[in-house]
Amino acid sequence: MVSDSAVRVRGLWKRFGQQIAVGGIDLDLPAGKFIGLVGPNGAGKTTTLSMVTGLLRPDQGSVEVVGHDVWQDPVEVKARIGVLPEGLRLFERLSGRELLAYTGRLRGLPGAEVDKRATQLLDVLDLTGAQHKLVVDYSTGMRKKIGLAAALLHNPEVLFLDEPFEGVDPVSAQTIRGVLERYTASGATVVFSSHVMELVESLCDWVAVLAAGRIRATGTLAEVRGEAPSLQQAFLELVGAGGRDAGSDLDWLGGGSR
Amino acid sequence: MNPTDPTAPMTTDAPLVPSGASGPPAAPASVTGVFVRLKLSLLRNGLRQSGGRRAAYVASAVVVLLFAALQLIGLIALRGHAHVASLVVLLAAVLGLGWAVMPLFFPGGDETLDPTRLVMLPLRPRPLVRALLTSSLVGIGPLFTLCMFAGSVAAVAHGGAAYAVGVVGAVLALLVCVTLARAVAAANVRLLTSRKGRDLAVLSGLVVAVGAQLVNFGAQRLGSSGLEQLDPAAGVLRWVPPASAVGAMDAAGDGAYGTALAQLTLTAAALVLLLWVWARHLTRLMTTPDGSTVQGDTRPVRERGPSGLARLLPAGRTGTTMERTLRYVWRDPKTKAAWVTSLAIGLIVPVFNAWQGTGSVYFACFAAGMLGIQMYNQFGQDTSAFWMVALTISSTRDAYVELRARALALLLITLPYATLVTVLTTAMLDDWPALPETLGLSFALLGAMLATGAWTSARFPYSIPQEGYKNVAPGQVGLAWISIFGGMVGAALLCAPVIALTVWLNVSRGAAGLGWLLLPVGTVYGAALTLLGLRLAAPRTAARLPEILTAVSRG
Repeated sequence: MVSDSAVRVRGLWKRFGQQIAVGGIDLDLPAGKFIGLVGPNGAGKTTTLSMVTGLLRPDQGSVEVVGHDVWQDPVEVKARIGVLPEGLRLFERLSGRELLAYTGRLRGLPGAEVDKRATQLLDVLDLTGAQHKLVVDYSTGMRKKIGLAAALLHNPEVLFLDEPFEGVDPVSAQTIRGVLERYTASGATVVFSSHVMELVESLCDWVAVLAAGRIRATGTLAEVRGEAPSLQQAFLELVGAGGRDAGSDLDWLGGGSR
Repeated sequence: MNPTDPTAPMTTDAPLVPSGASGPPAAPASVTGVFVRLKLSLLRNGLRQSGGRRAAYVASAVVVLLFAALQLIGLIALRGHAHVASLVVLLAAVLGLGWAVMPLFFPGGDETLDPTRLVMLPLRPRPLVRALLTSSLVGIGPLFTLCMFAGSVAAVAHGGAAYAVGVVGAVLALLVCVTLARAVAAANVRLLTSRKGRDLAVLSGLVVAVGAQLVNFGAQRLGSSGLEQLDPAAGVLRWVPPASAVGAMDAAGDGAYGTALAQLTLTAAALVLLLWVWARHLTRLMTTPDGSTVQGDTRPVRERGPSGLARLLPAGRTGTTMERTLRYVWRDPKTKAAWVTSLAIGLIVPVFNAWQGTGSVYFACFAAGMLGIQMYNQFGQDTSAFWMVALTISSTRDAYVELRARALALLLITLPYATLVTVLTTAMLDDWPALPETLGLSFALLGAMLATGAWTSARFPYSIPQEGYKNVAPGQVGLAWISIFGGMVGAALLCAPVIALTVWLNVSRGAAGLGWLLLPVGTVYGAALTLLGLRLAAPRTAARLPEILTAVSRG
């Protein structure tokens, strides 16, 4: 590997009309780690991940994934990354198995190998029973799982997941977690975004906090947490929502008397 | 009159029981009255939601009523025409068919249509059916239908008895129509509230489009050869409800009272049967868990290994993309609707024109033109799922293979189809010498359409909303126009050399008998255009992947 960073971002900007979605991000994500990109809604997580994976063109800045520039050298980058975006459709009129067969072959893997891997992924992700159902009829959890399977099929070095646990039931979440932990244990890198701090705290080794289009903190879980009792508390301090207490104004609420 | 009878009309002197202390506390409002008021409130509230909606509703109401008035006048004017009876019988049958399929295509149209909303209310089936039937009679549709039947009476009734039969018949026919719609809806509520039902609704647009073409040609044909064409069909349909009620009017006008009575009885029997079917479905719907709590259709798609065709497709991206494209033609309702429309219109225009003797063999090129449209906005057809493709395209070569595979998938259908339509048109016109040049022109046009389609797909992509009837996302209409019409004009211009050659070969005396040359020339020219278009589109596609994804991800 060319550098220790799985992802290296320099001066990344993106504006949508008047609104600055991402305002100059510099970021080095270490390889081989389980990395959480956390931030409140509208912080720019999806925009950042879209630009890092080459699905959205930045206004300014450069992105390197495992040492290759995303925009200059797409051949090297696209073969090495797996992506599960948020808010984009899949080819939903294919069945789960057909979707995997399609994705794998489009990625240039041999047909027999694709089918073998698909069978194993469907099995591990508990989708075997639904493999011949159209994805359009899948539940949210099943969609995330088939999306994850499609992202893992070509054994990428870096996996980008945008809100992989959003709207997912606890059973599916545990399944996804298990697969991701097994995957990082082999030395691969996972970058996932979330606003559920407990989840990030229990899964990640390394965290980047994003708010209003800027990086507020990066580092290992312990570094970012600092003195605070939990990541949640540290996060609230970092994004400037720490002092907000919904206490005194609603003093009539509860307590039995009317 | 019994005040508790739910069928009692709501008159001002309704409370026959004195409202004294001894009487029952104000008789419960009849279910029927409540439902009619509910229907009126829903209509009113629907209008209140937005000015645009109100304007659309008022405009459509005016158009429908104008149309109803026009046909009423038309039918009155036709009174006394020898074959008018056949016409009105056929109209009634078409109307009945319309009522039967309407709930399948517009399931969201009427909230009172979904009886599962009433599940929590303590209602008995009979009063419920009565109430729902009465409230169904409120609206533009029933009014239009009533106008139609009134026109039928005016057109065919002769003598007092015939008018009496006419009034009874019109009411019966209207009730049959409305009940038919309700029975079909109740029988299919599960389907209509499921994904399959919504898919079906998307397809309704094409039924309207293709139906309009058929009606257009049917009307032209009638205009040229007279109403007696209808007699054989009407002979059968006058015994099929609800058209049988109109048949009864005609029979009574001719003095055939026995026949009239039989046809009226048949209509009444059909009404009773439909009511029974409806009530049964209603009861079952109200006493079993509704669609939202039971799992939807969980049947898997038919298990198919690589089917025969898939096995024949080449390996790699070409075969993979072709297979996916062809699957989407069948499985994606929007794509399917577009294809069926193209296939149908591409066949109807040349063949029907030929059938009427007004056509030219060159009309057969219409098939190639219509089918070539499917190459336009390729990535918009993917919706935002295009990201899955974008992530696997990392070079111009990848983009070229992807576009070529899509064009090949299209050719798999369009090439044989365009050939078939051309041969069919030629056979109907018996103009065999023109076959080679028409085929050549068709292939050249197809090639030009594929070329411009590939290029505009890369240059002017736009979103196709997956819900509803719109085929362009708001704000992208201009883009769609540039893409489709610019592309079609471009395709026509690209074909100009072949067209010029055709004209020259036909007018130049020395070139007589050389028309066959156009087949190889057109084919090669079309193929060359396609390859060129793909070559030009590929680098644009590869360079603009994020922009294309943004453009196709709206709505």
